[in-house]
Amino acid sequence: MSSEPGGVYLHIPFCSAICPYCDFAVVADRASRRAPFVAALDREIRGGATRWPELVAVGVDSVYLGGGTPSVLETGDLARLLEAVRSTFPLRDDTRWFLEANPEDVRPETLAAWRRLGFSTLSLGIQSFDDQELRFLGRRHTGAQAVRAVHDALAAGFATISVDLIYGLPGQPPESWWRSLETAARLGPHHLSCYGLEIHERTPFGKQRDRGELREPSDEHQANFFLETHRRLQALGYPGYEVSNFARSPEHRSRHNRKYWHHVPYAGFGPSAHSFAGNRRGWNLRSLARWQSAVEATGSGKEAEEELTLSDLALETLMLTFRTADGVDLAAFERRFGFDLEARNRRLVERHLEAGHLRKQGHTLRPTLEGWAIADGLAAGFDLRRD
Amino acid sequence: MDTIRNFCIIAHIDHGKSTLADRLIQHCGAVEAREFRDQILDSMDIERERGITIKSNTITLPYTAKNGETYQLNLIDTPGHVDFSHEVRRSLMSCEGALLLTDASQGVEAQTVANLYLALEYDLEIIPVINKIDLPSADIDRVREEIDSDLGLDPFEAVLCSAKTGEGIEDVLEAIVERLPAPTGDSKAPTQALVFDAQYDAYRGVVMLCRIKEGRLEPGQRLLLMHTRKRYIIEELGLLQLERVKQKALEAGAVGYVIAGVKSVRDITIGDTLTLVDKPAPEPLPGYKEAKPVVFSSMYPIASDDYGDLVKALEKLSLNDAALTFEKDSSAALGFGFRCGFLGLLHLEVVQERLEREYDLSLLLSAPSVQYKVNLKTGEQIQIDNPMYFPDPSEIESTEEPYIKASIMIPERYVGAVMELCRERRGEQTVFNYLTQSRVELTSEMPLAEVLFDFYDRLKTITQGYGSFDYEILDYRVSRLVKVDILVNGEPVDALSQLCHEDRARTRALHYCERLAETIPRQQFKIAIQGAIGGKIIARSTITAFRKDVTSKCYGGDISRKRKLLEKQKEGKKRMKMVGAVEIPQSAFIEVLKSNSGK
Repeated sequence: MSSEPGGVYLHIPFCSAICPYCDFAVVADRASRRAPFVAALDREIRGGATRWPELVAVGVDSVYLGGGTPSVLETGDLARLLEAVRSTFPLRDDTRWFLEANPEDVRPETLAAWRRLGFSTLSLGIQSFDDQELRFLGRRHTGAQAVRAVHDALAAGFATISVDLIYGLPGQPPESWWRSLETAARLGPHHLSCYGLEIHERTPFGKQRDRGELREPSDEHQANFFLETHRRLQALGYPGYEVSNFARSPEHRSRHNRKYWHHVPYAGFGPSAHSFAGNRRGWNLRSLARWQSAVEATGSGKEAEEELTLSDLALETLMLTFRTADGVDLAAFERRFGFDLEARNRRLVERHLEAGHLRKQGHTLRPTLEGWAIADGLAAGFDLRRD
Repeated sequence: MDTIRNFCIIAHIDHGKSTLADRLIQHCGAVEAREFRDQILDSMDIERERGITIKSNTITLPYTAKNGETYQLNLIDTPGHVDFSHEVRRSLMSCEGALLLTDASQGVEAQTVANLYLALEYDLEIIPVINKIDLPSADIDRVREEIDSDLGLDPFEAVLCSAKTGEGIEDVLEAIVERLPAPTGDSKAPTQALVFDAQYDAYRGVVMLCRIKEGRLEPGQRLLLMHTRKRYIIEELGLLQLERVKQKALEAGAVGYVIAGVKSVRDITIGDTLTLVDKPAPEPLPGYKEAKPVVFSSMYPIASDDYGDLVKALEKLSLNDAALTFEKDSSAALGFGFRCGFLGLLHLEVVQERLEREYDLSLLLSAPSVQYKVNLKTGEQIQIDNPMYFPDPSEIESTEEPYIKASIMIPERYVGAVMELCRERRGEQTVFNYLTQSRVELTSEMPLAEVLFDFYDRLKTITQGYGSFDYEILDYRVSRLVKVDILVNGEPVDALSQLCHEDRARTRALHYCERLAETIPRQQFKIAIQGAIGGKIIARSTITAFRKDVTSKCYGGDISRKRKLLEKQKEGKKRMKMVGAVEIPQSAFIEVLKSNSGK
């Protein structure tokens, strides 16, 4: 629907150790695994132009290396992958290059190398500045290392430094979280992502929870953390622009994530990576081994694709945009989906306005902070039948 | 007639009544071994499972006694619950004697006593039988003592047996022949036959089970039902020996069946007296009481598509259950259903279970209610059993509710606790008499509505199972009755409205509000749940709104999965009932209505 340039995502599944809360497609890093992986990823990227012609048509202005821990890759491997992207997709001049990195990989020489490769945004997996919490989360760095990593990254001249943090650990005193937030803000990165801890099935935390060894924080507890995090960060100069994302100024908002949230085309490569273009969403095999064999055999690690219907897209539109400060543009919604969302849900909208979950500005329905806190249910409550 | 013995077996639950019946049937060779199954007279699954007898059943057993004579023993099986006491009474009216069964290890229990008194009321000859003597825990001496002290019967007349092993079964049969009186009556007198039960046969219509008290019946005769004044022609009659065995006539003293072209059990009344049009008896047999429903509840199918099936199921069920009444009803919250009338709560449960089990329906039942009388300011009196039709309080002059006389039999040590229970349940004129030194009969006049809600269970609990309870309807008495509405966000949920005494209103309302608050899941908006009498709020609870319902991350990989989760959530909502813009899951109604019996 958009002529906005698209994005490319590369999934690097390696981690030096697996964090007990993580439910992404990750494997332990082994030097021997890297070369065949990089070769396969290179091949899959180069086949991407025929698989996602829509992306070639609109061009690309955002390339994101996530994982896993892309920072475990050697400079040479990173260079090879970036080259594959450059030679496959038409890139805009102002393309932003994102790299996720763990603090233990951040050193003056790596920072310099990443800068030379053209990365403009570095996203640091800090999670906490508290040593005890870091140990609980299975991280391999200390609070002091985290401070140094942010400090050094800021000094290295990237356009945007982003810091990832996790809150709402079982038994975490709010004060401890506020200290981490304040430490982060004092260091002054351009962007923060703050995620409430979620415990997923089949992760080590999930298993501990099922055995009764880990108590999942209550929704009430998480709600308090969530609301207070937004309030405090606003006061510290980081207004939230999405449920979990905060930026010092609009130019530091994540250009790449925006594509996910607004149905802008993107192509993902590597195990478990997702793509979206022309109302099709596709996803790759999650297991590294299976993905790799598939790429080696066919050039693509695709597992499946789905064609999104107009009502799928309408539901996704609400589900995604109620998570952002932009909210739902009612006029654009009606143009795209052919019915008046507000008229169809008049009583519901009134109640959300009364309850302070939504605000109406012009023809836009914007979630308030309280609305963000219930964004999933908010979206699910709307009647989206077109007849 | 001298070779006929009509008897029943009365016993506390689990003391082995059905097993003894099985054994007597086998001993007399009334059934081949290969056709035999346990609890042969209990034909319904529910009866077998719960170990209770709901429908009476009857069988004629040929028995050749030691004296060489062949007797016709008519075993008239009786239900064992207070809800069905009218059926018990009718069965007892058809007998001259009863086997009073006592478990050799459990001893005399509450129901044994209650049943004994009932049997004595009908002048039955009693044979005490001590069953389960094969058990290692059997204590025959102790049971003998109890038979003496608690029942006032001669313990040395007790027959010992084990229905399980067959030991002593012949002694039981000999005692029946020797000690129970033969029926009396005159075959030449004007006919009087008691209809003590009826069954529906898909091919023959209604099969009436009768005890011929006087006179005789033959096929082709014109019948008159003395209470309903209906006339029929006898098509067939005979004895029941598991199968129907045709006879040329039934004479005074006999117990048998009569088929007379009756289409539905509703066309006759159990307890009616049969006589002949051409030579009528001057008066019907005494003791006739119409079985009237006393408990009412609305039944809704959980899936509204099942309404048609519910209609059919109720029609079928009622062919064989004359006490069940039903008429169309509808609720804004629960859709179309039926307002049904029952003999009591057990009858209600049995009907519900049979509908669910035999007809594969899932049902929701509204709070049970009794029938109230409302005197309007206009001078008119109306009867109300459905809260939906309760008039506006401004139109009401006064209200009346049905009272019963409860007879409770208990060992002396529970008198205090039971008097307290009666007081709690608004009992009046509670008095007690010592029947023996250790056994007390307590009577109390209390509102029927108070007995509906778990009274029997409470009595059993506080008397450790020794209390027995029976009641008869007395009259209607003026009572301060109110209609309690339950409001969700200000809108009444009609299916949860109920009528109750003013003093009970707050507790009931609060109970409903709390149960609803527990069972309605939190939603995006605050939900107010209130209990109200007219415009006055008497109870409230609040379900706070969700404060967090959002996942932290939503990037490329999560979008499809997350959309599917939301779609599921939306699907789930479609199955909920909307009241005051609040989604109420069916399970909340089920939980709240289920908890009625616990209140």
